[in-house]
Amino acid sequence: MDSQQKQQIQIGFLTVRKHASLGFVGGLLVLNGLARPVEFHCTLPVMPTKAQQLLYGATLDEFVAGEQIGRALLAKAKARPQIVLTDTLAALSVRHLVDSPIAAIDSSWSKNEATLTYPQPSHEAWHRLSVEGYKLLTMHEFASDSKQLESFLGSLSIDIVEPFGRIEGALMEAHPATKAA
Amino acid sequence: MLQPDLPKIEFGASWYEESVSIDFPSSLYAESILTEFSVDACFQPLPNWQSWPESKVLTVALGQPLPKTIGFSFPESPHWVKKVEPQPKSNQPDALAKSPRIAESDEQKDAPKQTPKLTRLRPPGDLVSLEDRLYYVLQPPLETIVQSAELTFPFQPFPYQMEGIAFLFPRAAAVLADEMGLGKTMQAITTIRMLLLSNELSDVLLICPKPLVTNWVREFRQWAPEIPVAVIEGDAHRRQFIWSNPQAPVKIANYELMMRDREQIDNGNLDFDLVVLDEAQRIKNRNSTTSEIVRSIPRKRSWALTGTPIENSTEDLVSIFEFLSPGYLNDDMHLKSLGKATRDYVLRRTKDKVLTDMPPKLFRAADLDLTPEQRLSYKAAEEEGVVQLNDLGESVTIQHVFELVLRLKQICNFDPLTGASAKYERLEADLEEIAASGQKAIVFSQWVETLDILGERLAKYNPLQYSGRIPSSKRDGVIDQFKNDPKTKIILMSYGAGAVGLNLQFCHYVFLFDRWWNPAVEDQAINRAHRLGVKQAVTVTRMMSTETIEERIHNVLEEKRELFQSLFAEAGVPRSMGLSQKEIFGLFGLSIPAVKRAA
Repeated sequence: MDSQQKQQIQIGFLTVRKHASLGFVGGLLVLNGLARPVEFHCTLPVMPTKAQQLLYGATLDEFVAGEQIGRALLAKAKARPQIVLTDTLAALSVRHLVDSPIAAIDSSWSKNEATLTYPQPSHEAWHRLSVEGYKLLTMHEFASDSKQLESFLGSLSIDIVEPFGRIEGALMEAHPATKAA
Repeated sequence: MLQPDLPKIEFGASWYEESVSIDFPSSLYAESILTEFSVDACFQPLPNWQSWPESKVLTVALGQPLPKTIGFSFPESPHWVKKVEPQPKSNQPDALAKSPRIAESDEQKDAPKQTPKLTRLRPPGDLVSLEDRLYYVLQPPLETIVQSAELTFPFQPFPYQMEGIAFLFPRAAAVLADEMGLGKTMQAITTIRMLLLSNELSDVLLICPKPLVTNWVREFRQWAPEIPVAVIEGDAHRRQFIWSNPQAPVKIANYELMMRDREQIDNGNLDFDLVVLDEAQRIKNRNSTTSEIVRSIPRKRSWALTGTPIENSTEDLVSIFEFLSPGYLNDDMHLKSLGKATRDYVLRRTKDKVLTDMPPKLFRAADLDLTPEQRLSYKAAEEEGVVQLNDLGESVTIQHVFELVLRLKQICNFDPLTGASAKYERLEADLEEIAASGQKAIVFSQWVETLDILGERLAKYNPLQYSGRIPSSKRDGVIDQFKNDPKTKIILMSYGAGAVGLNLQFCHYVFLFDRWWNPAVEDQAINRAHRLGVKQAVTVTRMMSTETIEERIHNVLEEKRELFQSLFAEAGVPRSMGLSQKEIFGLFGLSIPAVKRAA
C-alpha cells in the first residue's frame, strides 16, 4: 500500500475513561493510514444520574461508555472510519449502534494513570483473535468482524496502541482537572 | 413523571406502594435490566398483586440526551512526504560511512527487538487555544513520522536529540542551549526539515558566524539532503538575488553580512517563517548594530542556538530574548524569576546528564615553571609594567592593564630573547608519544604568532594551521587534510577560528598552550574533539606557567566558576565566567580609578 492509499484510510480510536469526581470522559481520534490525525472529538464529562446508577447496575459502564459516549462521538465524526479500535472493553457495546467493525485491544496505553480508570464491562464473553501480534476482542454477536479486521489491519503497518496515548494527552488538555496532581 | 435529572430517587415505602413503569427509549440494556428485574429476589411480586386496585404509573426516563462533544478536524494535517529523493549513498561523505554511530547500529542489528522510545510533541506553554494545543498533542510520535515519511539519517539520533526536535518543532520562540558537542546543529536541521516537509515553513533564514557557514552547508547535506540551501554571499548584486530567491527554502547568512545587507532587510520585502541564530551569544550586546539588524528581520518564528546563553551575566540571556520575544525579560529580574520565566523556552542538556556512556574528558594540569630565561624576562617585564601603570595614576585604563597582561602571557609562551619555552618542551615530549601511537592532537593558542613558532618547531609532525589567517574558502580543506592525511599529526588552532562549529572527534588529545580569558571559550575549543561520535576518552592538557599572571588569572576564574556553578545549579543555566574590569585591575593589585568607576 503506497502513501496515497494510506492517506485515504480512516481508522477510529475510541477511548472512555472514568474520573473519580468528574465522571466519564471519552475521546475519538480518527487517523489516516499514515497515523496522521484527521479528526478528534471528545465529550464533556458525563456523570450518570442516581437513577441510572441504580437501574443499570453492573451494566452502567457499558451503557455510558458504549451507548452514550461511543455513540455520541461516532455520530459527530465527519470522517467515517472503516474500523474502530478501542482500549475500553466497556465501549465495545457501541457496535450494536454502528456498522463499522469494532475491536478492543487487549492491552492499553497506560493503565497507571492514577486519576483516570477504565470503565469495566459486565461480562467476559468475547471473541478473541490475534492480528499482527495484537490481541483483539470483538463482541460475540459480531464475530464476523474478525475477518474484516484481520484483512484491514494486515495491510497496514501502524502501531495501533500508540494513538491511545495521544487521546489520553488530548483528554487531559481538554479537561485539565483530570491531570494527576 | 420522574425526570432522570432529579437529584435522587428514594426507595422508601411510599414509593414502593406505587407501581413503576420504566421508560428505556432505544436502550439496549433496558431489556436485560428488565429481565434481571423480574427474577431478582429483592423484587419478587407481592402476594395477590393482581387483585390490587389499579395503581398509578410513575415513569423513570433513563435515556439521556447524548453527551455534549467538542471536536476538531485537521484538514491540513501534515503529510511529511519528501518531494525529492535523497542523494545516492555514494555521494555521501566518507566520514558518514565510517560513523561510529553507524558501526554501533550494525552491532545492534542482532540484538533482540525492543519497543522503541516514543517522543511526543508537546504544545508550548504560551499556546493558549485548545485547538492549537491539541494539534500538537494529537500528532504521531516523532519516530512514527520519521518512519512513515521515510526520512533517512546518517545515523540514528539519540533519544535526547529527538526530545530536542520535539521541543523546537512547535515553538515560535526557543533557545536550544545544549552543551557543545551534543548536536544542536543536527537537531535544528532535522526540525527545520520536518517543518518544511509538513508545509509549516517555507522560508527559513539561518544566521551563523562566517567561519561556520560551510559547516552548516555540509550538515544540511548530511541531515536534510533533499532541502535546497542557498548561501548568501558574493557581490551586492548576487546577494540581492539570493535574499529574494524563492527557490531555496533555507538561506544561510553570516553575522558579518548583516551590516552590509541592512538595506535588503529594511526594505520590507522579506518575511521569513523562521529565523535561526547559531552561536546566538553573538547578539549578547543588544545595542550593537548587528544585534539591532537581526532583531529587525521580519519573521514568524525565532530560535536561538547557543552552548553558552550566559557568557558573562544574565544580561546576555535577556539580550537573546530581545530577539525571541522583545520585552519578555528585563535586566532587573531576579535570578529565580528569570529561571521561571525562561523554563518553557530554554532547553539545556549537558553531556554528563544525557551521554552517560560517552568517554570522559580527562584533564591534565600541566603547571610548569618558567625556564630561567623566561623567568628573567618575565620579572623584568612585570616590574617595568607595574611601575608604568602606577605612574599613569588616575589616567590608567583597562587597555593599559590588558597590554601588560598580554605581554606577560606571551613571555609565558616563549622567551622573546632566546625563544626558550617550558611549555614547548612539555608539548614536544607529549607529542612524540602521541604521534608514535598513531594519534593526532589539537593545540590551541590565542596568538597566531605562537602558532607560527610552534608550526616551525614541530615541522616533523607536518602541522596544519587553522586560524583567522586562513581564508574561509580553504578552511574545509585544512580540516579534511588533518582528518585524512596520516602524516599530519597536529593542527594548530586559534581560539577565535577553531573554538566553534568544528567536528574533530577523531582526535583524542587537546592542548591549551595558553589560556583564554573565558573558560566557556576553552570549553568550546575542547568540545571540538569531545563530542558525539568520540570513541575514546579525550585528554585535555591545560598548560599554565606557575607564579605568573597565568596562575593569577586561573585562580580568579576558578573562584568564579565555583561561585556561578553553585548559583546556577538550580536554574539549569550555564556558568558565567569572564573577568570583570575590577578583576583585571586586581591582577596587579590595582583598583579601578575613580573616574572609570563613575563612568
